[in-house]
Amino acid sequence: MNISKKRMGAIAGVLAISLIGAACSSSSTTKTTTAGTTAATTAETGAPTTSAAAGADYSKLEGSLIASGATFPKSFYDEAIATLADLAPKLTVEYGGGGSGKGRSDLQEQVVDFAGTDGVVKAEDIAKFKGGEFVYVPTVIAPITLSYNLPSVKSLQLSPATIAGIYQLTITNWNDAAIAADNPGVTLPDKAIVAARRADGSGTTENFTKFLKAAVGPDAGGTWALGSGSTVEWPAGTQAGDGNSGVAQIVSSTEGAIGYVDLSDAKANQLAVAAVKNKAGKFVLPTLEGASAAAEGATIKDDLTYFLGWADGDAAYPIAAQTWIIAYTKQADPVKAANIRGFLTYLLNEGQTLAPTIDYAPLPESLRLKAIENIAKIGG
Amino acid sequence: MSVVVNTSKPAPSAPLLADLSGVSARRRNKNAMMTALMGVSVAVIGILLALVLGTVVRKGWSIVAGEFPQWFTKDIQLSPRRPGPGMKAAIVGTIVATATATVIAVPLGIAGAIYLNEYGKRSLFARSLRFLTSVMAGVPSIVMGLFIYVFWVVPRGVDGLNGFSGALALACLMLPIVVRSTEEMLRLVPQNLRDASLALGATASRTTLTVVIPKAAPGIISGSLLAVARAAGETAPLIFTIGAAKHTNWNPFSGTNTSLSLQIYANAKESFPTAQERAWGAALTLIVLAFVFTFVARSLSARLSKGGES
Amino acid sequence: MALALDDLKSKKQIADRTFRGMTIAGGVTIVLILGLIAWTIASKSSLAFRTEGLSFFTERRWAPASNVYGALSFIFGTSVTALIAVVLAVPVSLGIALFTTQVAPSWLKRPIVAMTDLVAVVPSVVFGLWGIIFLAPKLVPVFTTVSGWFHGVPILGRIFGPASAGRTFMTAGLILAIMITPIITSISREVIETCPPTDRDGALALGATRWEMITGAVLTHSAGGIVGAVMLGLGRAMGETIAAALVIGSSPAITANLFSSGDSLPSVIAFEWGEATSDAKRSALIAMGLTLFVMTLIVNFAATYVVNRAMKRMRGES
Repeated sequence: MNISKKRMGAIAGVLAISLIGAACSSSSTTKTTTAGTTAATTAETGAPTTSAAAGADYSKLEGSLIASGATFPKSFYDEAIATLADLAPKLTVEYGGGGSGKGRSDLQEQVVDFAGTDGVVKAEDIAKFKGGEFVYVPTVIAPITLSYNLPSVKSLQLSPATIAGIYQLTITNWNDAAIAADNPGVTLPDKAIVAARRADGSGTTENFTKFLKAAVGPDAGGTWALGSGSTVEWPAGTQAGDGNSGVAQIVSSTEGAIGYVDLSDAKANQLAVAAVKNKAGKFVLPTLEGASAAAEGATIKDDLTYFLGWADGDAAYPIAAQTWIIAYTKQADPVKAANIRGFLTYLLNEGQTLAPTIDYAPLPESLRLKAIENIAKIGG
Repeated sequence: MSVVVNTSKPAPSAPLLADLSGVSARRRNKNAMMTALMGVSVAVIGILLALVLGTVVRKGWSIVAGEFPQWFTKDIQLSPRRPGPGMKAAIVGTIVATATATVIAVPLGIAGAIYLNEYGKRSLFARSLRFLTSVMAGVPSIVMGLFIYVFWVVPRGVDGLNGFSGALALACLMLPIVVRSTEEMLRLVPQNLRDASLALGATASRTTLTVVIPKAAPGIISGSLLAVARAAGETAPLIFTIGAAKHTNWNPFSGTNTSLSLQIYANAKESFPTAQERAWGAALTLIVLAFVFTFVARSLSARLSKGGES
Repeated sequence: MALALDDLKSKKQIADRTFRGMTIAGGVTIVLILGLIAWTIASKSSLAFRTEGLSFFTERRWAPASNVYGALSFIFGTSVTALIAVVLAVPVSLGIALFTTQVAPSWLKRPIVAMTDLVAVVPSVVFGLWGIIFLAPKLVPVFTTVSGWFHGVPILGRIFGPASAGRTFMTAGLILAIMITPIITSISREVIETCPPTDRDGALALGATRWEMITGAVLTHSAGGIVGAVMLGLGRAMGETIAAALVIGSSPAITANLFSSGDSLPSVIAFEWGEATSDAKRSALIAMGLTLFVMTLIVNFAATYVVNRAMKRMRGES
């Protein structure tokens, strides 16, 4: 109890979730305290988490789970693991990160029990998975921000074409006519733009460039010529940072810099974020609501894969990213299978109310229910 | 006990200089200038070291000292965004992985070096071995990690991620350093010591064990220490091999583990101030740990070489 | 009596042979390990060489998205940074080694040795972090100033060109130089210490100044060992991953300008492996590792040749 007191003093908000979660694990309604990293607003959602698995008894889970993969949802999984540890003290879950690609190949080689990924396994790779069939379980969604460092500009709006110009170095100064056209009435400084991007191959880069390709790629009649992928051929002169935090660090330390950073890291570094023009022609700020709105309009395939970028809808933020946990349906060890199901159940129930407090948006209810169905296939 | 040989150390201190008054000014100036440059070299590395350590101590001290006992006694915080101490798992992991790697690499490396210098000498196999170890020194640490991942971890599946796998990758990294530095030290043991021992009827192995190695011991130890320090601080080979545990695990053969270097890298990649602080705290811990270890081993080696003289 | 002696002798011989066998086994194991590494790397990289052919080495573009895998920019970056590191580290390391052994009073020796050892125990990732947070921002104005000095000067003006950021070839070279200094220093020092006192005393007795004694007696005696130390340092500089990766800038480029961002072989492996899902990309990254392997091989061949020639010349002269 001594430990709990200490933690509570330090981060009351997050802990409240876990304590309430523990207290209410048998009830069907959960009260949520929202404590973002920057703002500490309290909101009562009272969202029902009714499902077959809600209120599951996690205390019986015992053993260890090893996972690796996407870094984009890592801080959500880490926090979920920490809060679940209070409910299931005998279960240790280890999420090592390392990137979506690492997660997929680790699962392919059966070096991990499950893996996180921001991207879908390519059709030609499916046969290589040693453990046979696997399922996608979507967990959370989140916006990718365009964070910038211009102390004199309080709010900034960018259209996809402008973003493409900035990252292809055709727009090199903040007072460029294209940026001015996106921001009527705003005084833009005469300052060189430093475009910051990922040094490492990354699912975030993949989702960001997929959005650009969809919005202003050659097929859309636009100017984006770098294609899409976890690494693209960035022009020399862009600045590279290791991980979301590395990009955020360049932005926060360089006046005139702009970078694509996930919301959680942007908030942790207190960066200013730009509103981005969506498919409907509206400028939308990178918020959890914007990401959720994008998810509402997404086309979900039967295997629960989908792509959130450049989504339809007035309120949809156009650079939202999705992420999944993938696991084999055939499990040799029933205890391990129960553990995986237990952890995923936690993510899709208690985890969904935890997510907004740490800058991730919960899944739309319909998708969440489908995801829970997929959990049942693991080891079943 | 051992064969009596002259073990007086060469040049324990600076030699007495001859009177330079008769030497031309040009030569004297050049001498003074070069001596000054040598001093400057020492100053340069000293200043750089002070800058690096200054940054580490300034950023890491608060969490290590502020949370004093718990930093060393508690496991790692499960969620990086939460504050709170605990680096025990990584300290234990570093010790386990580095010690295991040392047990593998140092005897193997020393054996190889003894072969090179005492038996193989200029034979074809010895020359190729010598050459290959230099090549091995150039294999990037990340490739060592990938090699162990492909060759050792993957065939074992989930159970392959453990302290021993990490240690294997580290051992591959240490091996060339140990071989090269040991051979260099053995090569410098004067041949007349070996001849004297052999003339007194000692066998080649006895000569090596009781004359050559004790004579070269301080150098061998310092070379091996470099390798150990290098291994303890390496991140890249462990990323694919050791797992990402946050709980303490003393067993190298079962269960995932972690290390201070991995914790530094992983926490530095998080944006949360709590994680950043933890990264620097782990860096400070690793440096102190490595230095204490180096100091202990050095005193030991100093005592060894003194014991040999008496 | 004679029987007992014989028995003792054969026992001795067995022990002798066993010991010898153990050392050979050690050597064979090392070769096997290296062979295994080489085989694994070679087999995993064959796809890249089959599909890219020689263009793997001549193509400067690295564009996984369009299936173009060229290693040239990375080979360039690795060579340049390793070269900078060695050029900077060797004089400093020798200076320290000579100062410790030839100049410093005995009470100062241990602190200096301890200090260089301390540099060796600083983990590479810490150097990398320090490079990003402390060094790189401070280097931008330095680079700009230096670049200003050489502006308009032929060749040098190109080498010390304008700097846009703190993460450059030069930054990586500097960090690597600090990292390899303890290796070169430590081995050089041990080698120099074994220089026979008679050689040094002889030189001094003949009226040589300390510097002349060093060049005439100490360095000639230790040349082979010092070159070995430099080779170890060079190998380390070429293979170092995390520290260089963090400060080199990760923008593959081939340019004479040392103050521009670049990329290196180990760095691209470390940063791209996590997201390398296609066989082609994985194979290309492993092929980068093999390339580095071969580069070290070439450097070592060259060094062996140089040392052997130097030795021969020395013997010829004496």
